[in-house]
Amino acid sequence: MAHLNDGTLRRMVDDPDAVAGPDREHFAGCADCKARFAGMESDAMSANALLATPETQFDANAAYRRMTAQPARPRFGFRLPILRPASRAMVAALALVVLVAVGVTAAVNVSNIFQPQTVKPVPITVADLESLPNLSTYGDFKWVQQPTPAIGVSKAEAEKVAGFSAPDAKSLPAGVTADQITYAASSQIVGSFTFSAAKARAAAAAQGKTLPAMPSGMDGSTLTMTIGPAILELYGNVTAPSGSTTDPTQIQLPKLLIGESKAPSVTSTGVSSKELENYLLAQPGLSPELAADIKALGDPSTTLPVPVPVQYATSSQVTVQGVQGVALGDNTGLGAAVIWIKGGDVFFVGGSLKQDDALSVANKLG
Amino acid sequence: MAAVRSEKDSFERLFKAQYARVAGIANRVLVDPQEAEDVAQEVFMDFHRLHSASSAYAAPWLYRAAAHAALNRVRGRKRRERRELAQALDEQARTLDPQQEAELNEDRRRVRTALAKLPHKPATVLVLRASGLSYSEIAESIGVGTGQIGTLLRRAETALRKEVNRGTP
Repeated sequence: MAHLNDGTLRRMVDDPDAVAGPDREHFAGCADCKARFAGMESDAMSANALLATPETQFDANAAYRRMTAQPARPRFGFRLPILRPASRAMVAALALVVLVAVGVTAAVNVSNIFQPQTVKPVPITVADLESLPNLSTYGDFKWVQQPTPAIGVSKAEAEKVAGFSAPDAKSLPAGVTADQITYAASSQIVGSFTFSAAKARAAAAAQGKTLPAMPSGMDGSTLTMTIGPAILELYGNVTAPSGSTTDPTQIQLPKLLIGESKAPSVTSTGVSSKELENYLLAQPGLSPELAADIKALGDPSTTLPVPVPVQYATSSQVTVQGVQGVALGDNTGLGAAVIWIKGGDVFFVGGSLKQDDALSVANKLG
Repeated sequence: MAAVRSEKDSFERLFKAQYARVAGIANRVLVDPQEAEDVAQEVFMDFHRLHSASSAYAAPWLYRAAAHAALNRVRGRKRRERRELAQALDEQARTLDPQQEAELNEDRRRVRTALAKLPHKPATVLVLRASGLSYSEIAESIGVGTGQIGTLLRRAETALRKEVNRGTP
Protein backbone atom coordinates (compact mmCIF):
# COMPACT_ATOMS: atom_id res chain seq x y z
CA MET A 1 0.00 0.00 0.00
CA ALA A 2 1.18 3.55 -0.76
CA HIS A 3 2.43 5.73 2.07
CA LEU A 4 0.03 8.20 3.65
CA ASN A 5 0.21 11.64 2.05
CA ASP A 6 1.38 14.76 3.89
CA GLY A 7 -2.12 16.15 4.27
CA THR A 8 -3.39 13.02 5.97
CA LEU A 9 -0.38 12.77 8.26
CA ARG A 10 -0.64 16.42 9.21
CA ARG A 11 -4.30 16.01 10.01
CA MET A 12 -3.40 13.08 12.29
CA VAL A 13 -1.26 15.48 14.31
CA ASP A 14 -4.42 17.37 15.25
CA ASP A 15 -6.75 14.40 15.20
CA PRO A 16 -5.18 10.96 15.74
CA ASP A 17 -8.49 9.37 14.77
CA ALA A 18 -8.54 11.12 11.39
CA VAL A 19 -7.63 7.91 9.58
CA ALA A 20 -9.26 4.54 9.83
CA GLY A 21 -9.18 1.08 8.25
CA PRO A 22 -6.29 0.29 5.91
CA ASP A 23 -4.61 3.71 6.38
CA ARG A 24 -4.51 3.19 10.11
CA GLU A 25 -3.09 -0.30 9.75
CA HIS A 26 -0.48 0.95 7.29
CA PHE A 27 0.60 3.71 9.62
CA ALA A 28 0.92 1.29 12.56
CA GLY A 29 3.45 -0.79 10.65
CA CYS A 30 5.26 1.83 8.53
CA ALA A 31 8.49 3.29 9.93
CA ASP A 32 8.70 5.80 7.06
CA CYS A 33 5.23 7.26 7.69
CA LYS A 34 5.94 7.38 11.41
CA ALA A 35 9.18 9.28 10.82
CA ARG A 36 7.42 11.78 8.57
CA PHE A 37 4.65 12.11 11.12
CA ALA A 38 7.20 12.84 13.86
CA GLY A 39 8.76 15.60 11.74
CA MET A 40 5.37 17.16 11.07
CA GLU A 41 4.36 16.93 14.69
CA SER A 42 7.55 18.71 15.67
CA ASP A 43 7.00 21.48 13.08
CA ALA A 44 3.36 21.84 14.14
CA MET A 45 4.28 22.16 17.82
CA SER A 46 7.01 24.59 16.95
CA ALA A 47 4.66 26.75 14.86
CA ASN A 48 2.08 26.68 17.60
CA ALA A 49 4.65 27.79 20.16
CA LEU A 50 5.98 30.51 17.87
CA LEU A 51 2.47 31.89 17.31
CA ALA A 52 1.41 31.69 20.94
CA THR A 53 0.03 34.91 22.40
CA PRO A 54 -0.76 35.92 25.95
CA GLU A 55 -4.36 35.14 26.79
CA THR A 56 -6.44 38.26 26.17
CA GLN A 57 -10.11 38.91 26.88
CA PHE A 58 -11.96 41.08 24.37
CA ASP A 59 -15.15 42.82 25.49
CA ALA A 60 -17.57 42.63 22.57
CA ASN A 61 -20.25 44.74 24.25
CA ALA A 62 -17.85 47.59 24.97
CA ALA A 63 -16.41 47.35 21.45
CA TYR A 64 -19.90 47.49 19.94
CA ARG A 65 -20.72 50.58 21.97
CA ARG A 66 -17.48 52.24 20.82
CA MET A 67 -18.15 51.43 17.20
CA THR A 68 -21.76 52.56 17.15
CA ALA A 69 -20.77 55.79 18.88
CA GLN A 70 -18.64 56.72 15.88
CA PRO A 71 -20.36 58.76 13.17
CA ALA A 72 -21.33 56.66 10.16
CA ARG A 73 -18.86 57.09 7.38
CA PRO A 74 -20.16 55.09 4.43
CA ARG A 75 -17.74 54.55 1.62
CA PHE A 76 -18.71 53.63 -1.91
CA GLY A 77 -20.72 50.47 -1.47
CA PHE A 78 -21.96 48.09 -4.04
CA ARG A 79 -24.33 45.81 -2.31
CA LEU A 80 -25.65 45.83 -5.78
CA PRO A 81 -29.36 45.25 -5.71
CA ILE A 82 -29.57 46.53 -9.24
CA LEU A 83 -29.14 43.18 -10.84
CA ARG A 84 -31.73 41.31 -8.87
CA PRO A 85 -35.11 40.92 -10.53
CA ALA A 86 -36.81 42.17 -7.37
CA SER A 87 -34.97 45.45 -7.66
CA ARG A 88 -36.12 46.76 -11.00
CA ALA A 89 -37.42 49.97 -9.49
CA MET A 90 -33.97 50.52 -8.03
CA VAL A 91 -32.42 49.80 -11.41
CA ALA A 92 -34.62 52.37 -13.05
CA ALA A 93 -33.86 54.89 -10.31
CA LEU A 94 -30.14 54.30 -10.54
CA ALA A 95 -30.15 54.54 -14.30
CA LEU A 96 -31.96 57.84 -14.03
CA VAL A 97 -29.54 58.99 -11.36
CA VAL A 98 -26.58 58.16 -13.59
CA LEU A 99 -28.06 59.99 -16.55
CA VAL A 100 -29.09 63.04 -14.56
CA ALA A 101 -25.87 63.26 -12.58
CA VAL A 102 -23.65 62.74 -15.60
CA GLY A 103 -25.68 65.27 -17.51
CA VAL A 104 -25.66 67.82 -14.73
CA THR A 105 -22.02 67.34 -13.91
CA ALA A 106 -21.03 67.42 -17.54
CA ALA A 107 -23.11 70.49 -18.12
CA VAL A 108 -21.52 72.18 -15.18
CA ASN A 109 -17.98 71.36 -16.10
CA VAL A 110 -17.98 71.78 -19.82
CA SER A 111 -15.97 74.49 -21.48
CA ASN A 112 -16.42 74.59 -25.21
CA ILE A 113 -16.41 70.86 -25.48
CA PHE A 114 -16.75 67.88 -23.13
CA GLN A 115 -14.98 64.85 -24.57
CA PRO A 116 -14.18 62.41 -21.76
CA GLN A 117 -11.13 60.20 -22.08
CA THR A 118 -11.21 58.69 -18.62
CA VAL A 119 -13.67 57.80 -15.87
CA LYS A 120 -13.71 58.63 -12.17
CA PRO A 121 -16.12 57.68 -9.37
CA VAL A 122 -18.16 60.34 -7.60
CA PRO A 123 -19.78 59.14 -4.36
CA ILE A 124 -23.38 60.29 -4.03
CA THR A 125 -26.11 59.88 -1.44
CA VAL A 126 -29.86 60.26 -1.67
CA ALA A 127 -29.45 63.62 0.07
CA ASP A 128 -26.92 64.65 -2.59
CA LEU A 129 -29.40 63.81 -5.32
CA GLU A 130 -32.11 65.76 -3.59
CA SER A 131 -29.74 68.70 -3.34
CA LEU A 132 -28.99 68.69 -7.08
CA PRO A 133 -30.80 71.50 -8.84
CA ASN A 134 -33.56 70.48 -11.21
CA LEU A 135 -32.25 71.35 -14.65
CA SER A 136 -35.71 72.11 -16.03
CA THR A 137 -36.02 75.14 -13.76
CA TYR A 138 -32.95 76.76 -15.33
CA GLY A 139 -33.98 76.72 -18.96
CA ASP A 140 -35.49 74.67 -21.76
CA PHE A 141 -34.52 71.23 -22.97
CA LYS A 142 -35.34 69.88 -26.39
CA TRP A 143 -34.47 66.77 -28.37
CA VAL A 144 -32.38 67.26 -31.46
CA GLN A 145 -32.29 63.53 -32.12
CA GLN A 146 -34.66 61.47 -29.99
CA PRO A 147 -33.62 58.04 -28.68
CA THR A 148 -34.82 55.21 -30.90
CA PRO A 149 -33.68 52.04 -29.15
CA ALA A 150 -33.74 48.74 -31.01
CA ILE A 151 -34.16 45.95 -28.47
CA GLY A 152 -34.04 42.20 -29.09
CA VAL A 153 -32.58 42.59 -32.55
CA SER A 154 -29.96 40.43 -34.27
CA LYS A 155 -26.27 41.17 -33.90
CA ALA A 156 -26.13 42.42 -37.50
CA GLU A 157 -29.11 44.73 -36.96
CA ALA A 158 -27.61 46.08 -33.75
CA GLU A 159 -24.32 46.80 -35.51
CA LYS A 160 -26.20 48.51 -38.34
CA VAL A 161 -28.08 50.78 -35.91
CA ALA A 162 -24.93 51.64 -33.95
CA GLY A 163 -22.60 51.87 -36.93
CA PHE A 164 -19.82 49.85 -35.29
CA SER A 165 -19.06 46.20 -34.47
CA ALA A 166 -20.53 44.69 -31.32
CA PRO A 167 -17.94 44.06 -28.57
CA ASP A 168 -16.65 40.50 -28.60
CA ALA A 169 -16.28 38.76 -25.22
CA LYS A 170 -13.37 36.39 -25.69
CA SER A 171 -13.67 35.03 -22.15
CA LEU A 172 -16.83 34.34 -20.18
CA PRO A 173 -17.16 33.62 -16.46
CA ALA A 174 -18.31 30.21 -15.26
CA GLY A 175 -22.04 29.76 -15.70
CA VAL A 176 -22.31 32.21 -18.59
CA THR A 177 -22.41 30.93 -22.15
CA ALA A 178 -22.56 32.64 -25.50
CA ASP A 179 -25.47 30.42 -26.58
CA GLN A 180 -28.04 33.12 -26.00
CA ILE A 181 -27.16 36.78 -26.40
CA THR A 182 -29.80 39.48 -26.71
CA TYR A 183 -28.66 42.62 -28.50
CA ALA A 184 -29.94 46.13 -28.03
CA ALA A 185 -28.70 49.21 -29.84
CA SER A 186 -29.35 52.90 -30.12
CA SER A 187 -28.31 55.43 -32.68
CA GLN A 188 -26.87 58.74 -31.57
CA ILE A 189 -29.01 60.78 -29.15
CA VAL A 190 -28.69 64.56 -29.14
CA GLY A 191 -30.35 67.02 -26.80
CA SER A 192 -29.90 70.72 -26.28
CA PHE A 193 -30.46 72.87 -23.25
CA THR A 194 -30.81 76.64 -23.35
CA PHE A 195 -30.36 78.61 -20.13
CA SER A 196 -33.04 81.11 -19.19
CA ALA A 197 -32.40 83.54 -16.35
CA ALA A 198 -36.06 84.63 -16.28
CA LYS A 199 -37.29 81.02 -15.98
CA ALA A 200 -34.80 80.25 -13.20
CA ARG A 201 -35.84 83.39 -11.27
CA ALA A 202 -39.54 82.58 -11.65
CA ALA A 203 -39.12 78.93 -10.56
CA ALA A 204 -37.08 79.97 -7.53
CA ALA A 205 -39.54 82.71 -6.59
CA ALA A 206 -42.42 80.20 -6.78
CA GLN A 207 -40.60 78.17 -4.11
CA GLY A 208 -39.74 81.22 -2.03
CA LYS A 209 -36.03 80.96 -2.81
CA THR A 210 -33.52 83.35 -4.26
CA LEU A 211 -31.00 82.00 -6.71
CA PRO A 212 -27.58 83.53 -7.31
CA ALA A 213 -27.54 85.71 -10.42
CA MET A 214 -26.54 83.94 -13.64
CA PRO A 215 -23.14 85.10 -14.89
CA SER A 216 -23.23 87.32 -17.93
CA GLY A 217 -23.35 85.34 -21.15
CA MET A 218 -25.05 82.35 -19.54
CA ASP A 219 -28.59 83.55 -20.15
CA GLY A 220 -29.56 82.30 -23.60
CA SER A 221 -26.46 80.16 -24.09
CA THR A 222 -27.00 76.57 -25.24
CA LEU A 223 -25.42 73.27 -24.26
CA THR A 224 -25.68 70.48 -26.80
CA MET A 225 -25.25 66.99 -25.38
CA THR A 226 -24.53 63.99 -27.58
CA ILE A 227 -24.77 60.40 -26.32
CA GLY A 228 -24.10 57.19 -28.28
CA PRO A 229 -24.55 55.41 -30.56
CA ALA A 230 -24.40 52.36 -28.34
CA ILE A 231 -24.71 48.58 -28.31
CA LEU A 232 -25.71 46.46 -25.32
CA GLU A 233 -25.27 42.68 -25.09
CA LEU A 234 -27.31 40.76 -22.55
CA TYR A 235 -26.19 37.19 -21.89
CA GLY A 236 -28.60 34.40 -21.02
CA ASN A 237 -32.36 34.17 -21.03
CA VAL A 238 -33.66 37.70 -20.62
CA THR A 239 -37.12 37.16 -22.01
CA ALA A 240 -40.17 37.56 -19.82
CA PRO A 241 -42.55 34.62 -19.49
CA SER A 242 -44.58 36.14 -22.31
CA GLY A 243 -41.52 35.80 -24.55
CA SER A 244 -41.41 39.47 -25.43
CA THR A 245 -37.97 41.07 -25.76
CA THR A 246 -39.13 44.29 -27.31
CA ASP A 247 -40.61 45.79 -24.14
CA PRO A 248 -37.71 46.96 -21.96
CA THR A 249 -39.79 46.73 -18.78
CA GLN A 250 -40.35 43.03 -19.40
CA ILE A 251 -36.70 42.09 -19.77
CA GLN A 252 -35.25 40.04 -16.92
CA LEU A 253 -31.86 41.11 -15.72
CA PRO A 254 -29.05 38.94 -17.05
CA LYS A 255 -25.94 37.56 -15.33
CA LEU A 256 -23.68 39.47 -17.70
CA LEU A 257 -24.12 42.74 -19.60
CA ILE A 258 -21.58 44.17 -21.98
CA GLY A 259 -22.03 47.62 -23.43
CA GLU A 260 -20.11 49.93 -25.72
CA SER A 261 -21.01 53.50 -26.56
CA LYS A 262 -19.33 56.40 -28.22
CA ALA A 263 -18.22 58.67 -25.37
CA PRO A 264 -20.73 61.41 -24.60
CA SER A 265 -19.81 64.94 -25.57
CA VAL A 266 -21.12 68.40 -24.77
CA THR A 267 -20.64 71.64 -26.67
CA SER A 268 -21.48 75.02 -25.27
CA THR A 269 -22.17 78.45 -26.71
CA GLY A 270 -21.35 81.55 -24.79
CA VAL A 271 -20.59 80.36 -21.27
CA SER A 272 -17.29 79.20 -19.86
CA SER A 273 -16.81 76.02 -17.87
CA LYS A 274 -15.57 77.97 -14.87
CA GLU A 275 -18.68 80.17 -14.87
CA LEU A 276 -20.91 77.10 -15.09
CA GLU A 277 -19.08 75.33 -12.30
CA ASN A 278 -19.15 78.34 -10.02
CA TYR A 279 -22.83 78.86 -10.73
CA LEU A 280 -23.76 75.26 -9.88
CA LEU A 281 -21.61 75.23 -6.76
CA ALA A 282 -23.32 78.44 -5.60
CA GLN A 283 -26.80 76.87 -5.75
CA PRO A 284 -28.52 76.70 -2.36
CA GLY A 285 -28.68 73.26 -0.73
CA LEU A 286 -25.89 71.58 -2.68
CA SER A 287 -24.10 69.35 -0.18
CA PRO A 288 -20.50 70.37 0.60
CA GLU A 289 -19.38 66.74 0.04
CA LEU A 290 -20.82 66.61 -3.47
CA ALA A 291 -19.44 70.06 -4.24
CA ALA A 292 -15.99 68.89 -3.11
CA ASP A 293 -16.28 65.71 -5.20
CA ILE A 294 -17.22 67.72 -8.30
CA LYS A 295 -14.27 70.04 -7.74
CA ALA A 296 -11.96 67.03 -7.23
CA LEU A 297 -12.85 65.39 -10.53
CA GLY A 298 -9.76 66.73 -12.22
CA ASP A 299 -9.88 67.96 -15.79
CA PRO A 300 -13.63 68.35 -16.24
CA SER A 301 -13.50 68.41 -20.00
CA THR A 302 -11.92 64.96 -20.24
CA THR A 303 -13.30 63.11 -17.21
CA LEU A 304 -16.57 61.19 -17.20
CA PRO A 305 -17.92 61.12 -13.63
CA VAL A 306 -19.47 57.80 -12.58
CA PRO A 307 -21.94 58.52 -9.76
CA VAL A 308 -21.69 55.76 -7.15
CA PRO A 309 -24.55 55.49 -4.64
CA VAL A 310 -22.70 55.12 -1.35
CA GLN A 311 -25.35 53.02 0.34
CA TYR A 312 -25.20 50.40 -2.37
CA ALA A 313 -21.83 50.36 -4.03
CA THR A 314 -18.10 50.16 -3.48
CA SER A 315 -15.86 51.55 -6.15
CA SER A 316 -12.18 51.43 -6.87
CA GLN A 317 -9.94 52.61 -9.65
CA VAL A 318 -8.53 49.79 -11.75
CA THR A 319 -6.47 49.38 -14.88
CA VAL A 320 -8.48 47.85 -17.71
CA GLN A 321 -6.93 47.18 -21.10
CA GLY A 322 -4.08 49.49 -20.15
CA VAL A 323 -6.26 52.47 -19.24
CA GLN A 324 -7.77 53.74 -16.00
CA GLY A 325 -11.25 52.47 -15.23
CA VAL A 326 -13.72 52.32 -12.38
CA ALA A 327 -14.63 48.98 -10.82
CA LEU A 328 -17.83 48.72 -8.83
CA GLY A 329 -18.78 45.87 -6.53
CA ASP A 330 -16.77 43.13 -4.89
CA ASN A 331 -16.00 39.45 -5.08
CA THR A 332 -19.13 38.15 -3.38
CA GLY A 333 -20.76 37.48 -6.74
CA LEU A 334 -23.71 39.69 -5.80
CA GLY A 335 -22.84 42.26 -8.39
CA ALA A 336 -19.89 43.93 -10.02
CA ALA A 337 -19.16 46.19 -12.96
CA VAL A 338 -16.22 47.78 -14.73
CA ILE A 339 -16.44 51.00 -16.73
CA TRP A 340 -13.65 52.49 -18.82
CA ILE A 341 -13.00 54.68 -21.82
CA LYS A 342 -10.67 53.66 -24.59
CA GLY A 343 -10.30 54.92 -28.13
CA GLY A 344 -13.16 57.40 -27.70
CA ASP A 345 -15.65 54.71 -26.60
CA VAL A 346 -17.13 54.04 -23.17
CA PHE A 347 -17.21 50.34 -22.25
CA PHE A 348 -19.27 48.64 -19.57
CA VAL A 349 -19.02 45.06 -18.28
CA GLY A 350 -21.25 44.14 -15.37
CA GLY A 351 -23.70 41.69 -13.92
CA SER A 352 -24.37 39.44 -10.99
CA LEU A 353 -20.81 38.21 -10.96
CA LYS A 354 -17.57 38.62 -9.02
CA GLN A 355 -15.39 41.66 -9.61
CA ASP A 356 -12.50 39.41 -10.68
CA ASP A 357 -14.76 37.86 -13.33
CA ALA A 358 -15.97 41.26 -14.52
CA LEU A 359 -12.36 42.44 -14.81
CA SER A 360 -11.34 39.28 -16.64
CA VAL A 361 -14.14 39.73 -19.21
CA ALA A 362 -13.26 43.42 -19.52
CA ASN A 363 -9.57 42.82 -20.10
CA LYS A 364 -10.23 40.29 -22.85
CA LEU A 365 -12.99 42.23 -24.57
CA GLY A 366 -12.24 42.60 -28.26
CA MET B 1 -37.83 50.62 8.20
CA ALA B 2 -38.49 47.12 9.52
CA ALA B 3 -35.86 45.75 7.14
CA VAL B 4 -33.33 48.33 8.31
CA ARG B 5 -34.09 47.50 11.94
CA SER B 6 -33.75 43.80 11.26
CA GLU B 7 -30.38 44.30 9.51
CA LYS B 8 -29.15 46.40 12.43
CA ASP B 9 -30.19 43.73 14.91
CA SER B 10 -28.57 41.01 12.81
CA PHE B 11 -25.34 42.99 12.68
CA GLU B 12 -25.33 43.54 16.43
CA ARG B 13 -25.83 39.82 17.00
CA LEU B 14 -23.07 38.98 14.54
CA PHE B 15 -20.72 41.51 16.10
CA LYS B 16 -21.24 40.29 19.66
CA ALA B 17 -21.01 36.63 18.67
CA GLN B 18 -17.83 36.96 16.61
CA TYR B 19 -15.96 39.97 17.97
CA ALA B 20 -13.76 38.13 20.47
CA ARG B 21 -12.74 35.56 17.88
CA VAL B 22 -12.07 38.16 15.17
CA ALA B 23 -10.02 40.32 17.55
CA GLY B 24 -8.23 37.17 18.75
CA ILE B 25 -7.18 36.32 15.19
CA ALA B 26 -5.82 39.82 14.69
CA ASN B 27 -4.04 39.64 18.03
CA ARG B 28 -2.44 36.34 17.03
CA VAL B 29 -0.62 38.25 14.32
CA LEU B 30 -0.10 41.60 16.01
CA VAL B 31 0.46 40.56 19.65
CA ASP B 32 -1.04 43.92 20.51
CA PRO B 33 -4.60 43.77 21.90
CA GLN B 34 -5.29 47.44 21.28
CA GLU B 35 -4.25 47.33 17.66
CA ALA B 36 -6.05 43.99 17.26
CA GLU B 37 -9.26 45.68 18.42
CA ASP B 38 -8.71 48.46 15.86
CA VAL B 39 -8.35 45.83 13.14
CA ALA B 40 -11.43 43.96 14.34
CA GLN B 41 -13.54 47.12 14.23
CA GLU B 42 -12.30 47.99 10.75
CA VAL B 43 -13.12 44.50 9.56
CA PHE B 44 -16.64 44.62 11.00
CA MET B 45 -17.26 48.06 9.54
CA ASP B 46 -16.07 46.93 6.13
CA PHE B 47 -18.34 43.93 6.33
CA HIS B 48 -21.29 46.02 7.45
CA ARG B 49 -20.94 48.44 4.54
CA LEU B 50 -20.80 45.71 1.96
CA HIS B 51 -22.71 42.69 3.14
CA SER B 52 -25.79 41.57 4.96
CA ALA B 53 -25.11 40.41 8.51
CA SER B 54 -27.34 37.42 7.94
CA SER B 55 -25.13 36.17 5.09
CA ALA B 56 -24.09 32.56 5.49
CA TYR B 57 -20.50 33.57 4.74
CA ALA B 58 -20.33 36.28 7.43
CA ALA B 59 -18.12 34.49 9.97
CA PRO B 60 -15.61 32.98 7.50
CA TRP B 61 -15.40 36.35 5.72
CA LEU B 62 -14.60 38.10 9.01
CA TYR B 63 -11.96 35.54 10.02
CA ARG B 64 -10.10 35.78 6.75
CA ALA B 65 -10.38 39.57 6.63
CA ALA B 66 -9.01 39.84 10.19
CA ALA B 67 -6.00 37.69 9.32
CA HIS B 68 -5.33 39.61 6.10
CA ALA B 69 -5.74 43.03 7.69
CA ALA B 70 -3.45 42.12 10.59
CA LEU B 71 -0.80 40.63 8.29
CA ASN B 72 -0.93 43.78 6.18
CA ARG B 73 -0.34 45.86 9.27
CA VAL B 74 2.73 43.82 10.19
CA ARG B 75 4.01 44.26 6.65
CA GLY B 76 3.56 48.00 6.98
CA ARG B 77 5.00 48.32 10.42
CA LYS B 78 8.70 48.77 9.75
CA ARG B 79 9.92 51.35 12.23
CA ARG B 80 6.83 51.22 14.41
CA GLU B 81 7.29 47.52 14.99
CA ARG B 82 9.56 47.47 18.00
CA ARG B 83 7.58 50.12 19.83
CA GLU B 84 4.27 48.37 19.22
CA LEU B 85 5.50 44.97 20.27
CA ALA B 86 6.99 46.45 23.39
CA GLN B 87 3.51 47.71 24.30
CA ALA B 88 2.06 44.22 23.86
CA LEU B 89 3.54 42.69 26.96
CA ASP B 90 0.98 41.00 29.12
CA GLU B 91 0.96 40.47 32.87
CA GLN B 92 2.92 37.25 32.52
CA ALA B 93 5.61 38.94 30.50
CA ARG B 94 5.77 41.77 33.01
CA THR B 95 6.77 39.29 35.69
CA LEU B 96 9.87 38.43 33.68
CA ASP B 97 13.13 40.16 34.30
CA PRO B 98 14.19 42.82 31.79
CA GLN B 99 16.56 40.42 30.00
CA GLN B 100 13.80 37.82 29.53
CA GLU B 101 11.36 40.52 28.47
CA ALA B 102 13.74 41.76 25.82
CA GLU B 103 14.28 38.23 24.51
CA LEU B 104 10.55 37.51 24.39
CA ASN B 105 9.91 40.71 22.47
CA GLU B 106 12.67 39.94 20.05
CA ASP B 107 11.33 36.42 19.47
CA ARG B 108 7.84 37.74 18.81
CA ARG B 109 9.12 40.36 16.43
CA ARG B 110 11.16 37.79 14.54
CA VAL B 111 8.26 35.33 14.23
CA ARG B 112 5.75 37.95 13.11
CA THR B 113 8.20 39.32 10.56
CA ALA B 114 8.72 35.79 9.24
CA LEU B 115 4.97 35.19 9.19
CA ALA B 116 4.35 38.36 7.24
CA LYS B 117 6.91 37.30 4.64
CA LEU B 118 4.91 34.17 3.77
CA PRO B 119 2.34 34.37 0.99
CA HIS B 120 -1.14 35.35 2.19
CA LYS B 121 -2.73 31.91 2.00
CA PRO B 122 -0.24 29.90 4.09
CA ALA B 123 0.11 32.77 6.56
CA THR B 124 -3.67 32.94 6.94
CA VAL B 125 -3.96 29.17 7.40
CA LEU B 126 -1.35 29.27 10.17
CA VAL B 127 -2.98 32.21 11.94
CA LEU B 128 -6.48 30.76 11.77
CA ARG B 129 -5.34 27.35 13.01
CA ALA B 130 -3.32 28.88 15.84
CA SER B 131 -6.44 30.88 16.72
CA GLY B 132 -8.33 27.64 17.28
CA LEU B 133 -10.41 27.41 14.10
CA SER B 134 -11.35 23.90 12.98
CA TYR B 135 -10.24 22.51 9.63
CA SER B 136 -13.69 23.07 8.16
CA GLU B 137 -13.83 26.66 9.44
CA ILE B 138 -10.42 27.42 7.93
CA ALA B 139 -11.47 25.78 4.66
CA GLU B 140 -14.60 27.91 4.49
CA SER B 141 -12.67 31.08 5.29
CA ILE B 142 -10.08 30.68 2.57
CA GLY B 143 -12.39 29.05 0.06
CA VAL B 144 -10.84 25.59 -0.32
CA GLY B 145 -11.98 22.05 0.46
CA THR B 146 -11.51 20.74 4.01
CA GLY B 147 -9.37 17.91 2.63
CA GLN B 148 -6.72 20.43 1.53
CA ILE B 149 -6.17 21.97 4.94
CA GLY B 150 -3.77 19.29 6.19
CA THR B 151 -1.52 19.76 3.18
CA LEU B 152 -1.71 23.56 3.37
CA LEU B 153 -0.90 23.52 7.08
CA ARG B 154 2.06 21.21 6.56
CA ARG B 155 3.49 23.43 3.83
CA ALA B 156 2.86 26.58 5.83
CA GLU B 157 4.55 25.21 8.94
CA THR B 158 7.58 24.13 6.94
CA ALA B 159 7.73 27.54 5.27
CA LEU B 160 7.45 29.34 8.62
CA ARG B 161 10.25 27.23 10.14
CA LYS B 162 12.51 28.01 7.19
CA GLU B 163 11.68 31.70 7.28
CA VAL B 164 12.28 31.95 11.04
CA ASN B 165 15.61 30.09 10.70
CA ARG B 166 16.59 32.39 7.85
CA GLY B 167 16.00 35.39 10.07
CA THR B 168 17.87 33.92 13.03
CA PRO B 169 21.31 35.46 13.39
